[in-house]
Amino acid sequence: MKVLCVAEKPSISKAVATHLSGGSFQTHNTRSQYIKNYAFTFDFGQPWGQCDVTMTAVVGHLTQTLFADGYKNWESPPPVSLFGAPTITTVHDDKKAIAKNIADQARYARLLVIWTDCDLEGEYIGHEIVEAAKFGNRDITVKRATFSNIERAHVLNAARRLGNLDAKLVNAVAARIELDLRVGWAFTRFITNSLRPLGGPVESLMISYGSCQFPTLGFVVDRYFKVRNFTPEPFWSIKVMHKKDGKQANFSWARNRVFDRMSAVILYERCLDSNKAKVTKVQEKATRKFKPLPLTTVELQKAATRLLRMTGQQALNLAEGLYNKGFVSYPRTETDRFDKGMDLKKLVEKQTPDQRWGPHAQGLVQGGFRQPREGRHDDKAHPPIHPITYASPSVLSPDEARIYEYIVRRFLACCSEDAKGMATDIELQYGEEIFTAHGVVVLERNYLEVFIYDKWEDSAELPNLRVGEQFEPTEALLTEGKTSPPNYLTEADLLALMDANGIGTDATMAEHIQKIQDREYVQTTERSGQAANDDDDDDDPHDAPVARGTRGRGRARVARGGRGGRTSGQAAGGGRRGIKVFVPTRLGVALILGFDRMNFETSLGKPFLRKQMETKMKAICAGQTTKDVVLRESVAQYRQVFLQSQEKLNVLKAACREFVFAG
Amino acid sequence: MDVPSQIKSALQASSFPPPSQNLLSSLSPSIPLPSLLATAKSRILSSDLTSSPLINPSLPTLPAGIDSPAAKEVVLGRDTHVQVVDIENLSVSRWEQVEELEAIERGERTRGREVIQVTGEENENVGTQSQPATQAQPTQAGKNAIHRLTLQDRAGNKVYAIELRRIDKIGIGKTMMGEKILLKRGTVVARGTVLLTADKCVFLGGKIDAWQRTWVEGRLARLKAEVGQDRPTQ
Repeated sequence: MKVLCVAEKPSISKAVATHLSGGSFQTHNTRSQYIKNYAFTFDFGQPWGQCDVTMTAVVGHLTQTLFADGYKNWESPPPVSLFGAPTITTVHDDKKAIAKNIADQARYARLLVIWTDCDLEGEYIGHEIVEAAKFGNRDITVKRATFSNIERAHVLNAARRLGNLDAKLVNAVAARIELDLRVGWAFTRFITNSLRPLGGPVESLMISYGSCQFPTLGFVVDRYFKVRNFTPEPFWSIKVMHKKDGKQANFSWARNRVFDRMSAVILYERCLDSNKAKVTKVQEKATRKFKPLPLTTVELQKAATRLLRMTGQQALNLAEGLYNKGFVSYPRTETDRFDKGMDLKKLVEKQTPDQRWGPHAQGLVQGGFRQPREGRHDDKAHPPIHPITYASPSVLSPDEARIYEYIVRRFLACCSEDAKGMATDIELQYGEEIFTAHGVVVLERNYLEVFIYDKWEDSAELPNLRVGEQFEPTEALLTEGKTSPPNYLTEADLLALMDANGIGTDATMAEHIQKIQDREYVQTTERSGQAANDDDDDDDPHDAPVARGTRGRGRARVARGGRGGRTSGQAAGGGRRGIKVFVPTRLGVALILGFDRMNFETSLGKPFLRKQMETKMKAICAGQTTKDVVLRESVAQYRQVFLQSQEKLNVLKAACREFVFAG
Repeated sequence: MDVPSQIKSALQASSFPPPSQNLLSSLSPSIPLPSLLATAKSRILSSDLTSSPLINPSLPTLPAGIDSPAAKEVVLGRDTHVQVVDIENLSVSRWEQVEELEAIERGERTRGREVIQVTGEENENVGTQSQPATQAQPTQAGKNAIHRLTLQDRAGNKVYAIELRRIDKIGIGKTMMGEKILLKRGTVVARGTVLLTADKCVFLGGKIDAWQRTWVEGRLARLKAEVGQDRPTQ
């Protein structure tokens, strides 16, 4: 029996062919320069048995969906007609040879096995392959291999446990493609046509709209105005310091700070008048710094932008390359928990040859291994990103090596013990006010040994104070400070915002960020000094007293951060210079404010519409709704917004005049 | 005991200001006592202390010069009833409060990094007392928060009061304008500011609707004006 196997890209095709054939296959050229057909025999087990296999590949999507011929002109019929215009799905011109190869090979095969990546996009590409194969053989049987990395045993296992393509996932992607096409082009043509007459810098621009691009731009504009409009305010605090036996304890005020001088002075005066402070609590307790969670795509991108000075896009491309070479698992995943059945110890063992982290891996193998923490996300398709085999630096490019290092160190950290320490908390009552001092001694570094991106250090040793002890503090000061503005968004901030608000998928977020730069809606600039990771940092015991206590909001920052739950173990990137941040261009500001000021229920610059759409995609996947229903609802919704936008076009134009043309 | 006397002593037992003759005589004796008492309480709580005909004019006022910053510490010699005319959260910068109010006005709220759209209907179901969107509950104050109230006595004298210890009943959105508080004998006033502690004050509740409305509607503008004052000249 003859079987045709088709992968999503040539590297996977070759890797799978190598494993299934045991290394002996014949290679045939095709009419596409990128694609080779590999011929070999393989026993798929029941019911297929020993088969003659041809393994080939596509290069991503085979088809594109476009508007029919009568809708190519930007002016007529008017852009609004695109919401209802007929669309056609055809094979890309430059993919025709690939499609033909599949049809030709299908002619001789009884079974087609899809080896595309196991995610939404992969499912849809699988569907495109099926369509192409049916041109050659209408009756071909279709199966799908489920795999998340190209390690030998995993691939062999997948080949012997074939499943089916999921039509629901295919339909979800089809719905998104159609909606993006209609909405994207309708608004792009409308905005471009409408603003062109203003002349000047917008005369020759194509002003594209995308339902992910605009909310992404919206975040950048929103933060930009938060920074610009920020008004500093003075605040007051009380700091108490006490020296004993040559050691010093710095106490911070439980109230942290007060935005009124008189009130602070009154409370301060009452402290001083009481003369003596009294120790009300001394607590020594074991403490730990949690090891990081297993790695997801978004976290990888955030870490790469923060620690490795790459863009999210670069990081994803590099990880993809590592996956294609078989070094790491599939890098597009939302899962932050390992399946209990996975033999993680074996994967750890593979890292023992490395000079840098080999000894740590060795220690884990010899009894130090701990099961990773479990996050709350599971995409049910892929495990967290982890190394599959060992790659020595000599086989990787310098950038690949840095991403690989991060993935391996993160994985080894996940399989290590938390760092352990002893924390001392001293509480003081001085007048009616409460003050606290905190000290920590790190006892066991554990995961920190290998995860060099996290920092946890001993604090200065506290003097020995007993409960009930009274003393006159060495120093008690009324201090004054001033709130500081939030920072412009870093790429990591932007990714986190997109993630939290359902803008794009983990795999496409970086593309949207790139797109709004290409369109010159935003630009990057270097921010000096400031630590890049303030949003995610855990409580830092060494923070200055006035900045402690109320996370996130503590520094009068309006960042939507710091309260979004614990994303423990975020690498500390503190103190490095030249963090890249995003600021909008004049055009970017004009577009977002233009739509915001139209005062619809949901501005296109806000994430709500897109989020609803993503929710509907998920509902299609879950079988709770259908592609047709979603398309009908969403097209109607966006058409409504479109009509309103046309009515209020003057608002957008005015915003352009105000920002793009203003001196 | 006759009905007016019973009402009078019941009010006293609940730390209420003593009723005026006017109030007592307006209560119809044919209604059961518990209902009468509830009526009397609610009328007192929603009236303006400074002009209410429902309260006995003998009600004590704050000592003269109580708001003087020159006096380091004064202790109230007798129980004094006051009403709230303003509240501020001194633990959060005014600008942060401005931004939060503006987001609520736009129909947005944030949950961590997530921006949530708040529509009118949703809010009625979720909100505690079917408030319009502009009154949606702001973030709850933390356990070490410090609020400053502006209190007013029977004679219209105003004085600041701050939380010496956090009192959960006090908060933006919780404390209502016109709410009545009894400051007990022994309450400390430092540098012209009353120091509030749970053992020295009794929260009687109540609100004056018109004051509350004006306060809510004017809050954003007030905060903005206050921030403006602090703005350093550039």
